[in-house]
This record gives sequence, structure tokens and C-alpha cells, in this order.
Amino acid sequence: MTWRNKSKPLVIIITLLLLFVMLFPFFVMISTMIKPGTEIYVTPPRWFPENPTLRNLFAVWKEYNLLTYFESSLIIALGTMALNTLISVPAAYAVSRLRFAGRKFMLYLFLVIQMFSPVIVVISLFKIFAQLRLIDTYTGLILANTVFTISFTIWMLNGYFSSIPKEIEEAARIDGCSRTMTISRIMLPIAAPGLVTAMIYTFIWAWNEFLFALSFIKAQTKIPLTLGMYQFVGRWSTQWEMLTTAAFLALIPVLILFFSIERRLVTGLAGGAVKG
Amino acid sequence: MTAHTIGLRRKFLTDEARLAYLLLTPAVIFLIVFMLYPIIYVLLMSLYQTDKIGRLKEFAGLINYIELFKTKEFWEVTVRSGIWTVIGVVTKTLLGMVIALILNVKYSGRKISRLLFIIPWASSVPISSMLWKWVYDHEFGLLNHSFKSSGIWANPPVWLGEPLPSFISCMWVDIWIGIPFMALIFLAGMQAIGDELYESASMDGVNSFQKFFYITLPGIKHLVLIASLLSALWTFNDFNVIYILTRGGPAGSTDILITSLYKSGFEWLKFSRASVMAIITFIILAVVSVVYAWIYFRQEKEMQ
Repeated sequence: MTWRNKSKPLVIIITLLLLFVMLFPFFVMISTMIKPGTEIYVTPPRWFPENPTLRNLFAVWKEYNLLTYFESSLIIALGTMALNTLISVPAAYAVSRLRFAGRKFMLYLFLVIQMFSPVIVVISLFKIFAQLRLIDTYTGLILANTVFTISFTIWMLNGYFSSIPKEIEEAARIDGCSRTMTISRIMLPIAAPGLVTAMIYTFIWAWNEFLFALSFIKAQTKIPLTLGMYQFVGRWSTQWEMLTTAAFLALIPVLILFFSIERRLVTGLAGGAVKG
Repeated sequence: MTAHTIGLRRKFLTDEARLAYLLLTPAVIFLIVFMLYPIIYVLLMSLYQTDKIGRLKEFAGLINYIELFKTKEFWEVTVRSGIWTVIGVVTKTLLGMVIALILNVKYSGRKISRLLFIIPWASSVPISSMLWKWVYDHEFGLLNHSFKSSGIWANPPVWLGEPLPSFISCMWVDIWIGIPFMALIFLAGMQAIGDELYESASMDGVNSFQKFFYITLPGIKHLVLIASLLSALWTFNDFNVIYILTRGGPAGSTDILITSLYKSGFEWLKFSRASVMAIITFIILAVVSVVYAWIYFRQEKEMQ
């Protein structure tokens, strides 16, 4: 919608007001992060520190096992991403390029499964994992995260694969390419943006995951970031300057990754409706 | 086997179909083992008496269901889930629309505004919830301080200390996370509407409000439907915000189905009860998501 020039200042004022509301917690995060411990628990609270410091950025690594948490989160997120890709690429190729009985049903199923809450199955997953000795392991978390991300990946890739004209693939077949070669040399490179988007999305999903970690991980050495930070808040007195610093550090990779895929994600989620 | 029967089998199971099933096998096995089987197991647990570690004891039929339906608590939680979802989705849709509209105005700096508006969605939900917990802090939090010092609200409540303010606090965080998605989807839809429509409308002397109601809104009506359904499912499923901010407290006043079911299982070890709630949640989600899928595919068809 185009508004006349004279209303632009009004639009800018509304934008700034809304931005203030939407970014408030992040402002608080940064303001707390650069406060020395003595300036946190004062009444009335201060908007800006009197003596800003970057000391917390270094102290947090010693105070908390932040490095262990980062390591766990990284292993879990990368593992989920890899397993997810291995399972999803062939499945997505099948539903988008091949004719077989039950194709529609599979597409329907993958769309519906995305909506299920992990909470529904977390109790029985716990029992299954206990039997398989997967409690307190990265493998357990990777498996659980993969279950809840493959349908999105398949769905996303299906969109990209379907948009590639069949003729390209047929031409390659006639020129003597095998099916595997057509997939690896032609389909995947063309669908690369979609694949990367889905992979990054999976990484972010696993990086932010909280419920499975809360339920399946007890060993301090295996705790990922979200759960580790939750345990500080759970304590009777939270050191907020440390928590906000940890939050800042944990958010940097997620934000960078998210912004790299944001546009494709919106189209992927809303599907054909946006393109129309 | 004669050539004839082989030919028939070919018709049933072409090479292409065989390849498709082969490629789908890992995904399907995965979903059967870690999704279907757990759901069946939950269903069984809901029909049996269970012990403290969730082993099936004796068949109970629908007794667990009937007992749950008799508790006042269950109905409170269910109604709260409904209120939570409806108010959440409506507010997200309205605020998302406002943001989409202002982002659709051409002014310098709108690219950066768009980027900044996305941050709450891009951020990790558990971490955002922890940050909000600090913002809400009664003594040292900046929210109540800014209310008081600006004179907007002299006596703001202890946000996470009393039932109603706690519920509102949780609801706001969930809404705040969901707004950017709505705004971006609506914005994408608005940008797909051609400028020509607006230009010719301007020439006919149509004002901004009329343009919104007669051009913009009809143009994105499908999107609004799809996005609200998607958002309803996400809102209903939101576990992290409530669990991290209040853990369902004080005294269960912020529990919704999802958090109450988790606590029944993992904290109170009442596995039968938790399973019954899981099955009820599953049915609700299944119905809504099938409706979503149906609308989605119908629209895809219309687009073609």
C-alpha cells in the first residue's frame, strides 16, 4: 500500500515505537551484559551502566561451563543436520519426481507431521531411549531432533525439486547419465539453495531445542546451551549479568544463520500462497 | 512365471515406483520407529494402569479417560489452552498486519526496520524466554521500572508472582515471538499485489482505508487463513515459554495442555494420566492439521 508523503513522519514514529517494544528484551540483554555485577541489583534499576565493562564477556567462560555447552550444542546440531539430510534428500526426490502409488498420501503425511508436538511422544520416546541406552547420549538427541525436522526438509526440497523442468532430467538420461548421476550432478546443484535453507533451518532447530534436552540429558558434560542456561535461571539466585552475556554469545550464530535463510524460509513456509 | 504375468507385475510395480519406495524407506522406517510406535505406546499407556516407571500393569479400558474428565483441573487447563491459542493468534495477526503495513510504505530505512523486526522470531525461544524473565523481574527488571518512571502505570503487578499477571506475561512473550512471522508473510503477500491496482485506485480518488479493505485485504485473504492456522498450531504447542517463565505456576495458573501433560509424566510420574492428555492433544492437533493440509492443497490447486 502506498501512503501519501505527508504521512511518512507518522509511519516512522509508529515504526520506532513498535521497534522499541519488539527489541526491548535485547536492549535489556545488552545493557545488563555490560554492567559490572554491582550495578545489576540496585533500585531503581538503571537503563545504562555508569561504568560499562566487557569483563563479563570473559568471566562467563570461567563461571559457567559455557565451552562444554557450546560443544554439546554444536555436536547435536551438526549431527541432526547430517542425519536429516541423508534421510530427506532421497525421500524428497521420490515424492517430487517419481510416480508411485501413495505419493499424494506421503506428501499429505509429511505436511501433517510437521504440526505434531514433540511433547506428545516425549514420554514414550524416553522409555524407548531408556531401553536402547540412549539416555544421556548425543545420539539420542540427534535421533529425536531428526524425527521432528525431516518432514519440513522433505517438504521444502519437494518444492525445489518440483520446480525443475522434467526435460532437463530427461535430456541428461538420454545423454547416458544414470539416475544417481542425474540426482547428484543436476538436481542437487539446482536445488542447492533449498537444500542449504533446509539444512540451516535444521541446524537452528537443533541448536534451540530445549524439551528433548530437558527430558533426556542429565549428565553435566553433555548438556547443550539452552538447558545449561536454563539451569542457571532455575537456581535460587540468578547472576543475570552472566546469563545475559551467555545469551548474547549463544544468539550470535543463530541470528547470523537465520538471516541468511530468512527470505527463502518465508516462501517455504507459506508455500505457493506467497508466490501467487 | 509366464511373460504375461511378469508384464502384469510390471504394471503394478514399475521400476520407477520400486525406486521411489526404496528411496522413501529410511524416512518411513524412521517415522515408524520414533513417531508411530511412540504414539501407539502412549495410546496403550492411556488404556492401562501404569506403575511409577510407566510399565503397563492391567488393562483399564477408558477408566483413565473418565477419571481425568472428572477432575476440574483438566477442564481448566483445556479451556486455558483454548483462550491462550485464540487470544494469541488474533493478537499476532493484528499486530503482524500493522507491522506489515508500515513495512510496505516506501521510505528509506525500511530495509533495516524489516531486519530488526525479525529478530524476535530469529532468536532462540528458550533464550528469549529467559531474557523476558529478567525483564519482568519485580525488583530489578526494567519493565516495571519504565512503567513507574514514565508515569504510565504507578503500580504495576508482580508479573510472574500472581496468577492472572503471570498468564498475561506468558501470553505476551508467545505473542511477541509470533508477530514477526505473521508480519513477514503478510508483507510478502502485499508485495505480490501489483502497484497498478493501487495507482488506478488513487486516480479514482480512493483513500488509504478503502484501499486496505478493498484491495490489500482481499489480495492476501488466503495467506491470512493459512498463516493463522499455522500460527494456531504453533501457539497451541508452545511449551518453552510457559515452562521457562513460570513452569505452569503459580499453583498451576498458567498451565496449558502441553505443559500440564509434560509435568504429569516427568514430574508427578502419573503416566496414565499424562498419556490420556497426550492422546487428547494428539486428536486436537491431528484435526487442525488435517484441516490445514486440506486448505493448503486446495489453494495449491487454485494457483495452478
